[in-house]
Amino acid sequence: MPKLRLNYFGPLFFLLIAMILPFFLADYWIYSLTITLYYVVMAVTWNLLGGYTGQFSLSHHTFAVIGSYTSALLIIKTGVPLWMGMVSSWMFNAIISVLLGILCLRMRGIYLALTTWAFAEIVKTYIRMDFEFTGGDRGLKTLLFFKTMNPLPYYYLFLAFAVLTIIVIAIIMRSRIGYYLRAIRNDEVAAQAMGVDIVRWKVFAFMVASVFASMAGTLYGHFTGLISPVSGEFYEMALIIIFVVIGGMRSQTGPVVGAVSVRFLAEVLKKWPEVRMVILASIVILIMRFFNGGLIEFLRKVFQRIRQRKSSEPVSAYSKIE
Amino acid sequence: MGTLYCLMSLGVNFIYGIMKVINWAMGEFFMIGAYVQYLLIVFFLGVRYWYIGVFIAALSTFFLGAFVQKILIKPMFIGIVEEKTEYATIVTIAMAILFRNLAIFIGGPYIYTPPDYAPPTRIGPLPLSGNNFIAFIGTIAILAFFFYFLKRTWIGKAFQAVSQNRTGVLTAGIDVLKFDMIAFGIGTALAGAGGALLAPVLLVHPLCGVIPTVRGFEIIVIGGLGSIPGVFIAGLSLGIAESLGAAFINPSFIDIYGFGLLMFILLIKPYGLFGKPERSV
Repeated sequence: MPKLRLNYFGPLFFLLIAMILPFFLADYWIYSLTITLYYVVMAVTWNLLGGYTGQFSLSHHTFAVIGSYTSALLIIKTGVPLWMGMVSSWMFNAIISVLLGILCLRMRGIYLALTTWAFAEIVKTYIRMDFEFTGGDRGLKTLLFFKTMNPLPYYYLFLAFAVLTIIVIAIIMRSRIGYYLRAIRNDEVAAQAMGVDIVRWKVFAFMVASVFASMAGTLYGHFTGLISPVSGEFYEMALIIIFVVIGGMRSQTGPVVGAVSVRFLAEVLKKWPEVRMVILASIVILIMRFFNGGLIEFLRKVFQRIRQRKSSEPVSAYSKIE
Repeated sequence: MGTLYCLMSLGVNFIYGIMKVINWAMGEFFMIGAYVQYLLIVFFLGVRYWYIGVFIAALSTFFLGAFVQKILIKPMFIGIVEEKTEYATIVTIAMAILFRNLAIFIGGPYIYTPPDYAPPTRIGPLPLSGNNFIAFIGTIAILAFFFYFLKRTWIGKAFQAVSQNRTGVLTAGIDVLKFDMIAFGIGTALAGAGGALLAPVLLVHPLCGVIPTVRGFEIIVIGGLGSIPGVFIAGLSLGIAESLGAAFINPSFIDIYGFGLLMFILLIKPYGLFGKPERSV
């Protein structure tokens, strides 16, 4: 078992802030923060797949939609208790993602992106079309998790879940599996030559990310009380990618920082939704084009510069290597 | 109906063959082609000269695509980017979002209906919508022109050479980077022409490129990435699968049968009907 080398102070500090923050905010902002935490989970798990493993899934949001719909429909149609609906929907998602993964992860590179893109659109269309069963565009009323619309308990639930997700992803990336995944991203053939069962670990990463997405989706469904095919739009997937790229791909904190800061910007600009998407897309293009590292790398460089100026001694190159 | 989506998948496949890059913003170039066509025939040309509109729409998307390639995709090959697939995927997805929202911002979220190109016609006993018929004929004409260009002219042969070996053609005096730009332009121009031809069928709105792109990508995966004959066989079989499914199972789930076919093909032939396993270098 490798030693968990984590810097505990910083994360705990932010966690503390996140825990006392709701006492100073209005209900609307707590609601908005809860949704931000949902996106944090989505971004962090997509980073495992798209960032570390290099497998572009474009149906991450679809797994959340499938999760929320499966759980809600099970509860409505068969009357099972809430936890059972949620757990069975996670299992259902695990099965779907493994099947999809086995089918299109055998090939190299871009096939997963093509297939999952089609998959996402098809699932959305199905939910729209089969309105007698799924409710279609009118949406579907779901059972609330805490039987109340007050966002405070949901906020803590989502916070706990986000922290859990971040910890699980951190453990995976620090274990042997994490090295496999990074090896697969850097060079598949070389990884295979070193004895990594690439298909198996790619499917594993796909499954973990999808199951976490579906967990976030079920929680989201039982938090908002109304789910609709709108959350299966491609726009949602683009948002997740925007969070990860702006925050910084392939870093533990990047997606979190990206999701929080972009959501804040989105709240400020919410009167002009098109303008805000235009701005965000341009930022992503600029980051990819000129500065491949995102916000977190930028902050690190700024801090490095400040430290350098203070101590006036060169920062060793090793500090950049994780 | 499958033929109508061939232009889109051919454009994607052509770009992939030359640069090994998937352009995710293809549906948006389709949308831009449709908007340009709408503006032209409503404000400048009138419906009678729709074919000039198609030509101008293709030309404008050609220049837009070439410009985008020059500023965004070209740096990929000069050496600042370590992971090419990742870079291209993210940049083109961001571009898709950018164009979509610009279209909403400029034109508003409305559906524009261009006038019909032709009245409903009959061929023998078969009643046909005039727009579908024109789109079909136009697609065939553009495809014929494209193949003549690809197989018979010097530039077309140069494109084939680039897709076979990027380093080898440098020795033959072909400027690969310039050809990349033109190839990207041609690919987007195919999508733009498709958008202009299908404008009265699919109507003109910011999301009108989505369904053709889904079909286009399905066709590509079924036919095999980078394979041009695969596009036609796959387009045909997709059309047949959809019609059979609509006739025998349920017509409201027409979009799902194509995906079912795709899954089946992936199961039995992982690289598509005509695709070859790739070697990574």
